[in-house]
Amino acid sequence: MDEQGTATTAANTGCVINEEWFGRTAVISASGVVDMLTSPQLETSIAASLTKSPTAIIVDLSDVDFLASAGMGVLVAARDKASSDIGFGVVASGPATSRPLKLVGLADIVGLYATLEEARAALGE
Amino acid sequence: MTTPSYQSSPADGDRFIRNDVVADAHNAARVRDEFATWLRASGDLDRVRFSDVVLAVNEALANTAEFAYLHAGAPGTIDLEAVRAGDTLTITIADQGRWRESTPATQSRSRGRGIPLMRALADDLTIDSSPLGTTVCLRFEQFHAARQDDADFALG
Repeated sequence: MDEQGTATTAANTGCVINEEWFGRTAVISASGVVDMLTSPQLETSIAASLTKSPTAIIVDLSDVDFLASAGMGVLVAARDKASSDIGFGVVASGPATSRPLKLVGLADIVGLYATLEEARAALGE
Repeated sequence: MTTPSYQSSPADGDRFIRNDVVADAHNAARVRDEFATWLRASGDLDRVRFSDVVLAVNEALANTAEFAYLHAGAPGTIDLEAVRAGDTLTITIADQGRWRESTPATQSRSRGRGIPLMRALADDLTIDSSPLGTTVCLRFEQFHAARQDDADFALG
């Protein structure tokens, strides 16, 4: 079957997390699948960034192909865990990520932005 | 059915069947992935619908892997059957365990979105629980078409 590798291989179930800083703003990017298996990786990365005293945390899901409720739970828990003086936002767009977040009413709770540029502009850096 | 291979019955529409899948997170992800491959091969699916269906199926599998066999001491099994008949897709996910009932201690803002998600994504959702097990049935109508009532959410 002539399909792209990400569509059909077993490797489609993995997740890669990246951490990047813009001043005191931490951007945690995920790519691939964020589900009950892989969401702990995202949780760990966000927790690690919290120990470095960010003024804002942005979770960038732009390269996420699949976001399960387990992943959404990590976002909400992180938002709740970050103190109220730490900015928090999630970057997501498309049917696999921003759509389900909106469908279950999480867009306003976590702070949803379509692009990283918009999130950074809104949260300070 | 004993072999985990792709099956189809042209006479009565396409089917995807997995039986006796051990209910753990790794298998849930694997079956989801195989189901997505079958679904993609089923034809020219609207991108949003495809995403909705796979996510709904994931949530049913994940609930079973996480909750159904919590008190049994060992993981049980999941049976999944997806049937495409005309433009209707029906997916049944059955386990022989009992889903943990949510209590105030287990409810928190960061948990418990699987069922509301399935309800929002599918055209019809039924969850039948008995002491013998739980069966989730998801139905998607006109599953080749974009949803008409969802213009606000269509592009995500």
